[in-house]
Order: sequence, then structure tokens, then C-alpha cells
Amino acid sequence: MSGIGTGYDLSATTYSPDGKVFQTDYAQKAVDNSSTALGIKCKDGIVLAVEKLVVSKLLVERSSRRIHNVDRHAGICVAGLLPDGRMVVNRAAEEASNYKSFYGEPIPGRVLCERLASYMHLFNLYWSMRPYGTAGLLATYDEDGPALYLVEPSGVAHKYHGTAVGKARQAVKNELEKMKLGQLTCREAVVEAAKILHKVHEEDGKPFEIEMSWICDDSGRVHQRVPAEVLAEAEAAAKAAMEESDMED
Amino acid sequence: MLPRPTTHSKALGPGVAGPELAVATSAVLDRPPQPTAQRPLSGAQAFSVDPSLVESADGPRQHTQYPYVTGTSVLAVKYAGGVMLACDTLGAYGSTKRYKSLERIIRVNARTAVAAGGEISDFQYITRLLEELATDDYRTDDGIELGPREVFSYLTRVMYNRRGKMDPLWNSLVVGGVEADGTVFLGTVGMIGTHYTDSHVATGFGAHLARPMFRERQSDDMSEADAEALLRDALRVCYYRDKQSINKFQVAKATGEGVAIGKPFALETKWDYKAFAAPTKWAIGAW
Amino acid sequence: MFRNQYDTDVTTWSPQGRLFQVEYAMEAVKQGSCAVGLTSKTHAVLATLKRAQNELSSYQRKIFKIDDHMGIAISGLTADGRVLCRYMRNECLNHRYVYESSMPIGRLVRQVADKHQVCTQRSWKRPYGVGLLVAGHDARGPHLYNTCPSGNYWEYKAMAIGARSQASKTYLEKHFEAFPTATPEEMILHGLRALAASLSEGELTKANCAVALVGEGSSFVVLEEDDVEPYIQMLKEEEGGGGGAEPMAEAAAEGGAAAAEGGAAAAADDGGDGAAPMES
Repeated sequence: MSGIGTGYDLSATTYSPDGKVFQTDYAQKAVDNSSTALGIKCKDGIVLAVEKLVVSKLLVERSSRRIHNVDRHAGICVAGLLPDGRMVVNRAAEEASNYKSFYGEPIPGRVLCERLASYMHLFNLYWSMRPYGTAGLLATYDEDGPALYLVEPSGVAHKYHGTAVGKARQAVKNELEKMKLGQLTCREAVVEAAKILHKVHEEDGKPFEIEMSWICDDSGRVHQRVPAEVLAEAEAAAKAAMEESDMED
Repeated sequence: MLPRPTTHSKALGPGVAGPELAVATSAVLDRPPQPTAQRPLSGAQAFSVDPSLVESADGPRQHTQYPYVTGTSVLAVKYAGGVMLACDTLGAYGSTKRYKSLERIIRVNARTAVAAGGEISDFQYITRLLEELATDDYRTDDGIELGPREVFSYLTRVMYNRRGKMDPLWNSLVVGGVEADGTVFLGTVGMIGTHYTDSHVATGFGAHLARPMFRERQSDDMSEADAEALLRDALRVCYYRDKQSINKFQVAKATGEGVAIGKPFALETKWDYKAFAAPTKWAIGAW
Repeated sequence: MFRNQYDTDVTTWSPQGRLFQVEYAMEAVKQGSCAVGLTSKTHAVLATLKRAQNELSSYQRKIFKIDDHMGIAISGLTADGRVLCRYMRNECLNHRYVYESSMPIGRLVRQVADKHQVCTQRSWKRPYGVGLLVAGHDARGPHLYNTCPSGNYWEYKAMAIGARSQASKTYLEKHFEAFPTATPEEMILHGLRALAASLSEGELTKANCAVALVGEGSSFVVLEEDDVEPYIQMLKEEEGGGGGAEPMAEAAAEGGAAAAEGGAAAAADDGGDGAAPMES
């Protein structure tokens, strides 16, 4: 049922007659309209990737990041409203550093995810605030190995083998489901992620750049941006694959 | 007036100044500010002490007046292209040689090393602060890292702030490293915030035993081998005359290539000097 | 102009996932007069067009020095801009106090943007109605950033904000490839030409424009009045010499040069471009 015009959809503290909190759904819309981001869990780590539209040629290349370091062993890729995303990243960094100073060891991914989810959930509880218009793909590598989580505006969080958010999430998920995620290495996943993002971008043809990070054995289990040359290689492979498939058509 | 978080209050570390979470979540989540010695309700949290919180029924607090587990002198010299720091690895509990493998030199980042004498637990706290600063730089990921001069400045502010709160960190610190433009930096800061930079520094007993040697033999363009030989000689002298030291040392180098902290080693010593047999013979007034 | 029930409160999402109050705040930026910024390999330059409330008043200052290595140009609600200016100055001073060094530009801009964000999420606040162009020079060279009320910020090679800034942007897009190697003087002239493109009537005078320069080895300096006069003369000579007229703004009628910055004066709509959309 649509909530538009009923008056039940104006506050995060209002239920509609059939039990929905529309403001939370609307915040999710902001994420759904955003540029596409994806995360892949590989056998040796996690790869995060996001497309960014280049709205002006005056912009400095690779500025306004969507992937951030949270701690050495954790990183977040934010979809949706970038300013909201940064606040979530700030909170994650605080949680990580508080945990470290209290327990003397890095925050486990599971705990970080839980705390972020609680934090985002808080903004669904008061009329005086709005839910965050952002979702975070969280990549961590701790004692239990690599893990990928998705934290949504509602405060819901799940652990994934692979997932996507943003405009083309469905198309990306279809691609991910075809892949054998458990057998992939991060190096291979970087290429796959580039291919997927180029493919879902085929139709609109707008200029975009890809931001990618990984946390794996290659990166010393430290979350970092995928090295420029590795990313360039992956993008070249993606473009080559696109042309190949064009020839077949 | 509500305590207002400033960015540097967070940088100065938890418990030093300001609320722990610099980004207030919302009025709903904010607790009303609780006064502490470090954060009185006056609002001038970084720079003042609320006497009522320092003093208890038993009079002024005194637990800050003595160190417990201590490290002795730190020596450091500049040489061509870098800085070399040296100290022993003892943590003494009073006069007891309690911990014999304490590493007192840390790498802050690619360009900076810090070494400490004095209360070891305070140094471990300082280590945590510096780790957090380095992690902040890593998080920002903008290619900017604190240089040794900035680390030094930060430490002088921390030390002076704590002394101003009558709760000093009981350390003498030595900061060495190489700036991005290649300039070599060496400085020291004491427990009450006194600080200076020089071509060679030594803390504690070393200021009396090692610095005369440094003044004679150190020059900023000396070779790495000469610098290491000088430090070894100085360490040996310190070891002979300082009862709070042991024959297990570490030398660290901070150069343009990075910070390298060496493995612990022992020095050749010789105890059958005649003067050692009758130590008071030429020392007028000794007994 | 009541549009719908979702646009009166900053804590209400529209069914499409938009925040109208924030979008309206971004309109306030377009009400302010034009500000231009550009960077070369060594320097960053700001150029602004100042307005006077009426003939008897002074021109409203739009460039503020933050620290020796950084300054801002504002467009929109001047009062909001001054609040942010004070915050930025304070942060720079704190950084200087603790580290005895100048604050990295990008880190401060991010903090300012986070400050903006907070005002887009609390019912008892309103978004800042001001856009900033931050120009500065740090260990990583010269930088130009643009912040906007939504809490977004971008790093630019060159950018213009404010009323009819599209014309200035057009100029910048046409010439930005020449900027990296330009001398500071050429940069100032580029800035002024871009600024002139946004004029609806009249011309640049020493009274109505101000320029600022910061770069490697030179701290932030504002050129006003007699200091900016020589550059305006150079532009005039250029035009007089038939050196090619610069693209002038298509006349988009506006409520007169006396319109208060973002005030209650006539709404100027420069075609809905201006500030970039909230997300991109």
C-alpha cells in the first residue's frame, strides 16, 4: 500500500494502519536511487567496488570517495547520500577506536557490524530525526577470517557472500549469483567487479569512474584501495570483455 | 556553558581533554556532561583544573608523585641522513631489575621514532596515543602523515597539559625522524613539558654521562657507522656508571627510508680497570 | 509556493527518497552573487563579485582568510558563511597549537561538510544556506574544494558558484586545460574573466570585485580596491585591443544588483543548474 497523501508517512515514529514505517522505506529509496556498489567475499578476502558518475570535467579525478578505511582491518563502501555515509563511517571509526582502547585488540567484524546497525537503527526511533539515507557495505578481516556485511537505513544488517546496493543492484545480484564466489580469489574478483560495473553501465553511457578496495592476503590483511595498476588492468579487461560480447551480438 | 568538543581535544587523547566522542550523535543520545578533573564544568576543559575534583577528603592527591616501573637514559644523535636513538631494555621496579626485555623505542610512522625513559606505564599510554594518531592518518588516506616535528609538538602539548593538571606523565621522551623534505629532526621533551631540539640529546643520567662525549664527537654530517660507534661508547659509559641500567641495548635508526629498530644486543665490557677497584680514591668527599 | 507535504521539515523523506528542505537550502546558494575558484600546479585563486545593499552602503565582503595557507569565498547567506568561517579559523588555530603546522585542506573541508550534514538531520536545525569555495595550499599542493548545504563536497580543478555561475563555469570548462601551467597573474585574469561572464549588467570595477591568491611559498592574500585595479585595467586593455570578447551571460533577469545575498530580495533562478544535485 502506498502511504502517499495518507499522512501516515511523515514521521519515523508513525505506523501506517497496515504496520509500515514509511519514512524508513523512503530513506531506503535514497539508497536505491544511488550509484551502484557491490561487495564480493572471496576465498582470501573481500573486494568492495562502486561506480561514481563524473558530473563535471572540472572535478579532480578520484576525489569524493565512497570507500573509506575504518580501521586497518575494516573498510566501508557507502551507497546513498554521501554526507550521511560519511557520518556512518565516522561512527564506525569511533567504535573501532573505542573498542581498541578498551579491549586492546581490533574490533571483530561481527561486533562492528552490530554496533553500526544499532547506531543506524537509532535514527528510526525519534520524530526529531530522520533515518540515514545510506547503506554501508562493510568489509572486515579478523580472527575468523574475512567477512562482508550490509547495514541498511532501517538498522537491519546481514552477512553476505556477495551483494549489491544502488540503482543496478538487481542486475548486479543476478551476475553475482552466476559466479562461484567461494572459489574466487580477490585478484580475480577485482576483474569480475569491473566487468559487472561496466556491463550494468552499458545502457546509459554516462561517464563514470570505478572506486575499488580490498582486504585480503595480497594487501597484508589491511583494508586499502586496490592499487592503481591492478585497477587499470581490471578495467581494461572489462572493456575488452564488453567489446567481445558486442561482437558476438 | 556546555563543554564544546574541539578537534584537538580528541587528538590529545581520551581522558586528557574534552568528551570522548567528538561527534555528538544527537541531543537524544548525549548524556549531560559529567565533571571530571580533566573536564571541569567551567568549559575551559583543556586548560584548567577544577580543584574540588582534584582534592579529596584526604587532602590533595598524591598518587602522581612517584613513578613505579622506570626506564633509564635515552641517547640520540643526528648523523648524515638520519637520527639514531639508543637505550637499554630494562624496566626497573625501584632498584629491582624487574623487566629485562622492555622495548622502549617505538616506530610512530614511516618517518618518526619515539623513545622514552621514566614510568613505563605512562609510556605505554603515550604509545597508544601515538598509535591512534597514526591510525587517524591511515583512515584519512590522503597521503598526509605526521612528520617528526608535528609528533614532537603534539607530545610537548600533551606533556605540558598533564603537568598543568598536576597529573604529569612521568617520562622523558626523545623524538627523532626525517621530514618529508629530508630535514633531520631530533628533539626531547620532559615530564613537565620542557622541550628543545638539538643535534644530540640524552635524557636522565645520560645528560651528564653521554652528552660530554656527544659534544666532542658528534657532528650532523658524521657517517652512520661513526654514529653507531659513538652511541655504543656512550651506552657503555652509561652502563658502567648507572646502576639502573643493564647490558642489553637497542639502537634504532630513522632515515628517509623509514624507521628500523634493531634487535637487542650486549656490549663488551671490562671491569678490571684500576679505578673501578677503588672507586672513591680520586673522588673527594666520597666514602 | 507550497509544493507538497514533504517539503517543510528537514527530517521528512519524500516518497522518492529526496530531502526537499535540503534542496531548497541549496537554492539559497544560487541567490548569492558569483564566486569563482581555480587552481594551477602551484597556486589557487578565488575571485568574487560583491554586491552593495544600496548606493550608500558598502559592498558585502565575500572572501575570508582562514589561515595563512587557506581562505574561502562564499555564496548564499553571508551570516551562515561567517559562522562556518569562524569554525574553520578555530580549527586551524587548534591544529597550529597542537602540531605547530598548517592544517591539511581536505581534512578541514571534510569536517566542515560533516557539520553541514548534522543540520540536515535534526528537526531543530536548518541546513546552512551557504556554499563555500575553499582554496588553499598544503603538503599535497594547491586545492580547491566546494561545499554545499547538503553536506556534500567536491574537489575541483576550477569551479564557480552563485547567481548565473553557469556562464562562469562555461568559461572555466573552456579554458581549464591551460590552468595547470598558468602563472599567478594569468590565474587572476582567468578568474576575473570567468567572473565577468556572470555579470548581468555593468562591468567589473575595483569596488565590486575581489580576488585572493594562495600558493607555494605565498600565504593567502586578498586583493581588493586599488590592489585589484591593475588586473581590471589589463582586462579592459585586452578587450579594447579586440582580444576576443568573452562569453557574457545570457541575460537572465534578476532582481537588480542590490539584491541582498540570499535575502528576501527577488528570487533569481539561473536555470536550475548551479549546485550539483544532492547525490551523484
